[in-house]
Amino acid sequence: MSRARRFFAGLLDPALGLALAVAYVALLLATNKDLGYARDEGFYFQAARSYEGWFSLLFDSPKAAFERANIDRFWVANSEHPAFVKSLFALSHHFLYAKWKLFAEEGTSFRFPGMALSGVAVAVTYLWGRRVSGRVAGLVAAVSLAMMPQVFYHSHLDCFDMPVAAMWLVTTYAYWRSISGGGWLWAIATGVLYGFLLNTKHNSWLLPPALIVHFVIARGEGFWRELRAGSVRAPLALVAMAVIGPVVFYLGWPWIWHETGKRLAAYVAFHTGHEYYNMEFLGRTYWKPPMPLGYAWVMTLATVPAITLLLFLIGLGASVKRGLTVRLRWLAERAGLAAAPGPLDRDLFSTELLWLGCILTSYAPWVSKGTPIFGGTKHWITAYPFLALFAAQGFVLAARALSGQRERVGKAALTAALAVAVTVAPVAIAIGAHPWGLAAYTPLVGGAPGGASLGLNRSFWGYSTGAVQGFLNERAPPNASVYVHDTAMQSWEQMAKDGRLRSDLRPAWSPAGATFALYHHEPHMLRVEYQVWVDYGTVAPAHVGTYDGVPVIWVYERPQR
Amino acid sequence: MSRRRLLWLAVPLAGVVELGAYFYFSRRAPRVDEWTRLREPVAALRQAGELVVVAPRWADPLARHALGDALMPLSDVARSDESRYVRAIEISAMGDRAPELVGWRTVGEQKHGRFTLRTLENPAPEPVSFDFVDHVKPDHATVFEGAAPCSWNANAPVTAGGLGGNPTFPAERFICPSGDWFFAGITVIDDHREYRPRRCIWAHPPPGGPLRIRFERVPLGKTLRGWGGMPWLLFRDSVGATPVEIEVRVGGTSVGKHVHHDEDGFAPFRFDTGRAGEVLDVEFEISAANVKDRHFCFQADTR
Repeated sequence: MSRARRFFAGLLDPALGLALAVAYVALLLATNKDLGYARDEGFYFQAARSYEGWFSLLFDSPKAAFERANIDRFWVANSEHPAFVKSLFALSHHFLYAKWKLFAEEGTSFRFPGMALSGVAVAVTYLWGRRVSGRVAGLVAAVSLAMMPQVFYHSHLDCFDMPVAAMWLVTTYAYWRSISGGGWLWAIATGVLYGFLLNTKHNSWLLPPALIVHFVIARGEGFWRELRAGSVRAPLALVAMAVIGPVVFYLGWPWIWHETGKRLAAYVAFHTGHEYYNMEFLGRTYWKPPMPLGYAWVMTLATVPAITLLLFLIGLGASVKRGLTVRLRWLAERAGLAAAPGPLDRDLFSTELLWLGCILTSYAPWVSKGTPIFGGTKHWITAYPFLALFAAQGFVLAARALSGQRERVGKAALTAALAVAVTVAPVAIAIGAHPWGLAAYTPLVGGAPGGASLGLNRSFWGYSTGAVQGFLNERAPPNASVYVHDTAMQSWEQMAKDGRLRSDLRPAWSPAGATFALYHHEPHMLRVEYQVWVDYGTVAPAHVGTYDGVPVIWVYERPQR
Repeated sequence: MSRRRLLWLAVPLAGVVELGAYFYFSRRAPRVDEWTRLREPVAALRQAGELVVVAPRWADPLARHALGDALMPLSDVARSDESRYVRAIEISAMGDRAPELVGWRTVGEQKHGRFTLRTLENPAPEPVSFDFVDHVKPDHATVFEGAAPCSWNANAPVTAGGLGGNPTFPAERFICPSGDWFFAGITVIDDHREYRPRRCIWAHPPPGGPLRIRFERVPLGKTLRGWGGMPWLLFRDSVGATPVEIEVRVGGTSVGKHVHHDEDGFAPFRFDTGRAGEVLDVEFEISAANVKDRHFCFQADTR
């Protein structure tokens, strides 16, 4: 192969990764319009606006920007979460909307960084899958991740959940590259990326334990030998994470530049002592410990397409088998009975161990009966890229077994057909679920109707207002007041600003006195619906927003007397 | 093809089966327009006083949207239980059955589109002769805070506290001297069974003495049956709080006292009137040793 050809061949996979990311972001942008702004998005719009004020000051008057009064003034907003992603929201709004006018809606400019990071997650899943399992398997992994219905929903949002999944994945990928002979540059990159991960969301606290456990197990006997000798050689990437990570975290969050200890303590305390919310699970609303231990697993089973889970289980099963073989051969080598496992076996063992560690760590908080379950699947969403990577391994085994001894073209055709067969259902489910992402349940539990019958949560965050915006715009008289229920006021205002809702409609805090009342269904919120019944004198909603026939949001109109 | 390879065929097959299952389940539940088309047949089937029940229960908002208040009035939707009804119409979608009608006898069944409409008969109905909730009005009731009368207002300011606040304080209510929270009027609270609705008389014991609600000329049955509770979302954690007592007097004689504990949820009580067939005054006296945050609400009837 000529040098030029080798060069272009080397570009193919990064180009494919980029294409996947771009296509995913394009799909997210195309489906953005009718996805209402969720409750927390409203808070982050507000925070991003505040941070944007600081960036403007930084661009205009850098010295003033670093004065404590200005830092505190702009960065106090939403200081219970770190700043990286919200800074991206702010900069995206500043440049892509206000300055360059790339987006028609202000809200889209806030959402764009989350979409872009979701695209990065899809691309890196592909690249990692490509390196370990092959090109088609990498594509299967990427599509499987992108088309998990709840991933697709969260990828649209001006929130931290997909960004933290992306940053976790990217950091782990860099770590893996660094320990797979990638050299010191990957190790430094791991440290820097970990700093950004720390500055994205507190899930980041769980990654170092996962990597340390991985290091200990993957290193095997060598680690214990070194420990006994009193000099353990930790991977450079781990050292970089410990040294560079906190520096990047600190530099990227102006709020902690002053009173660092006190403010960090408040940040940690907010999340370790997070209040309990209500969550419906199997027909019962949980609001305090003990929480059901099966919650995370059952919800994964009910919301991730079954074919993805099947491939994951096949991949995981093969991995466990391989892992046991490697361990046995290590033991046999020590007893002088067999040769040590080869480097390829060891590498794959290490890689899969890393993936498994990331999955288990992401689910680990739900081993405790005290962990609040208010956020549903988004709280272990960091596991999903690794689940998809195992699925890619499962795909390889299936493709290999099915294509058998065929010639090259036949093999390729069969592999492509298999890839389509295992991704078509996730694509249909994810696209079909839009814009009702949180109500999406897979056929394994009977789809959305099955989920409702089982008593699984259909909605939170009041995002489904976007699905009834057309009704309100058409039906409400001029200047009508609308009780917004679970939609944050900031989210409502953003919808009005973006022209999704008529600007003359007046949001109201209470159903009493309002002409229209929204009701976002969660069992514990039913009492709000009852308040509307008594006030309006009717139990009949004027409009019901449904997903596959299941009511998710309904709207009451005050009868004219 | 080897058996092993055949087994691997299960992988693509699973993908295709999931796709088919997705399309099946996504079309399984009736849509809004199908519910709307149900209005006429249900109206034709339902006689006055019959209950309309929806299975599965999550489809209830669709039924209310389609059928309206005439076929699904608030008093039915927010009922305390089904014991008073002689007959019920069950709207069944996707083959589901209403658990509250288990044991009722099917006396009619019709298919309408993707629905089954069943007429069911209660094997042991307890018809109501007087529902106190329907009569919290000046032509039947008088209300006192201790000895001070609570005045009727047919156009009081309506307030509703949202998720963490008060249930709707209705426009029509007897307002007691101690302020906004102390009145007798009809509202709906959430109960301990996954926040189901209960239509009831708001009867927060006031600080100026027990709340006394007196109904005149009540046709009595053998029993006086009732339910009492507090909004579950607000009081689900208040174990051991001051109990609320509700004492019932018929013709000036006490027939029983029910003590409500928050953790019991919306709990039933039943007293023998000992005066079946007579028409007498009935008084409910609601009190608590400490009246702070005692958001008591009750439903009662004679049968």
